[in-house]
Amino acid sequence: MNIERIIDRTYYWIDDNARRTSLALARKLSRRSFLSRLGMMLAGAAAFPLLPVARSFAQSSVQEMGDPQSCDYWRYCAMSGTLCACCGGSYTSCPPGSEPSPITWVGTCHNPVDNRDYLMSYNDCCGKATCSRCNCHNTVRDKPVYFNSNSSTVLWCFGTENTSYHCTVSLVLGTIDE
Amino acid sequence: MRFIIPLAVSLMLVMPLASAQITPEEISQETMPEPGENWFISKTGNGGYIFDATTGEMQGLLSLSRRTPAVTMWRPRGEFYAAESYVSRGVYGERTDIVAIYDFENLSPIAEVVIPNHMARLGVRNHLGLMNNGRHLAVHNMNPGHSVTIVDVQDRVFIYEVSTPGCAIIMPVADSDFLQVCGDGTLQLIQLDLSGFEQNRARSEVFFNVQDDAVFDRTARSADGWFLVTHGGTIFEVSTSGEEINIGEGWPLMSDDEEGWRPGGGEFISAHQELGLLYVAMHEGEVDTHHEPGEEIWVMDVETQRRVHRLELEVPARSLMVTQENEPKLIIADDEGDTHVYDALTLVHERSIRTPGASMFEDF
Repeated sequence: MNIERIIDRTYYWIDDNARRTSLALARKLSRRSFLSRLGMMLAGAAAFPLLPVARSFAQSSVQEMGDPQSCDYWRYCAMSGTLCACCGGSYTSCPPGSEPSPITWVGTCHNPVDNRDYLMSYNDCCGKATCSRCNCHNTVRDKPVYFNSNSSTVLWCFGTENTSYHCTVSLVLGTIDE
Repeated sequence: MRFIIPLAVSLMLVMPLASAQITPEEISQETMPEPGENWFISKTGNGGYIFDATTGEMQGLLSLSRRTPAVTMWRPRGEFYAAESYVSRGVYGERTDIVAIYDFENLSPIAEVVIPNHMARLGVRNHLGLMNNGRHLAVHNMNPGHSVTIVDVQDRVFIYEVSTPGCAIIMPVADSDFLQVCGDGTLQLIQLDLSGFEQNRARSEVFFNVQDDAVFDRTARSADGWFLVTHGGTIFEVSTSGEEINIGEGWPLMSDDEEGWRPGGGEFISAHQELGLLYVAMHEGEVDTHHEPGEEIWVMDVETQRRVHRLELEVPARSLMVTQENEPKLIIADDEGDTHVYDALTLVHERSIRTPGASMFEDF
């Protein structure tokens, strides 16, 4: 009985507060003022990427050089597998109908354009037959299977609906000096 | 002209009679003979090709899944064991991992045990290991955490999945124990009880640094344990006594003036256990070239820790194995898909066998 009364009083308190706050807002704010504040918020949100923090992100877009369909391309330094860039995808996108694996192995590759080292994530694209084009086997800082986060020989189709290996993409996660 | 036409007609009548005298051939089926000396299995992407190294003749084929890590056998029961992974529609659909059991006589599947769909699906010899009791088969898993599936191949039942975080590969020791290499620079010993469940586990001291000079996940069985080798070419012989893991003093493959040489390839290391000879594929290269095929095979005497032979190869070696017979053969898979048989003691080339895509060998 007591519990029901407490619940009833709580609901009453919430309703009463909501009613009073709405009334107070209606008294203080005109409709035009509310619209102008909403507009300011939207404009502010749109301008957020122009702030200094956002500009620093924009500057870190990676400058590319070379042929993404070649095993010598700088992003593939620690990659073993077939290149999605040769199979209807790109170095950051899976070919049609294949599913990106959320679990990856990582490597560190040197970009010759800006002379910086980048942390790379190698994601397998899964769910189709192996694309037998542009098969690469690069082993910079590659480790054996027991140290699998740095092992290029592992099939990384984990956490996908289908575990068949199709090809591999290479994504920049950041620079090692960040 | 009077005689020619009757002669031709009579010949036409006689000809079918002549061919009718040949007994039609009937198709038959071979069965496997008793395995001979220096027989070996050459594992490729679609199966295990069984050869006699002495004659070079193929004896039969074990059909295996494309993702089978390795195949092994137990001669007293006359059976082969392979971990296999299948997807119901070839590349999509329901996945089923199994341990398949094949008989010696027909190389046919006679039983299978369904296991968790976690096997690593990599062609690595040490991802499958039959315990020395011939009963418990261990399959290495990655999901992506490491674990090991234990199957009782005698009773044909899945026992359980042992979690082995940070540690991989299976190196059987003692009766029903196995060693693993771990990412923190140690070895792990898992001891099974009579039923195949984990009874005890132990960890060795740290003896290598995975970042500075990692131990390969390809190893060779020795008389008492296993030979491990680092990317930089240091050999460790490891063994166990009860719960204790013994790690021998590391010794180098290369002398001081051979620093550019490194071990590497696929299954690039093998040992003749009784003779104490270690065969390693070596190449000249920089750091991180540990998957490069071997330009030479170095033969090391493990007793004196000295090299006793250097075999130069025309085509670099991807994988190798030495048979355990008294007159052993060195089997080499080259980088172009050919298999070569050498006398393992004189290192004289005896024959080449075409087995396209051979990635590893198993002694028979």
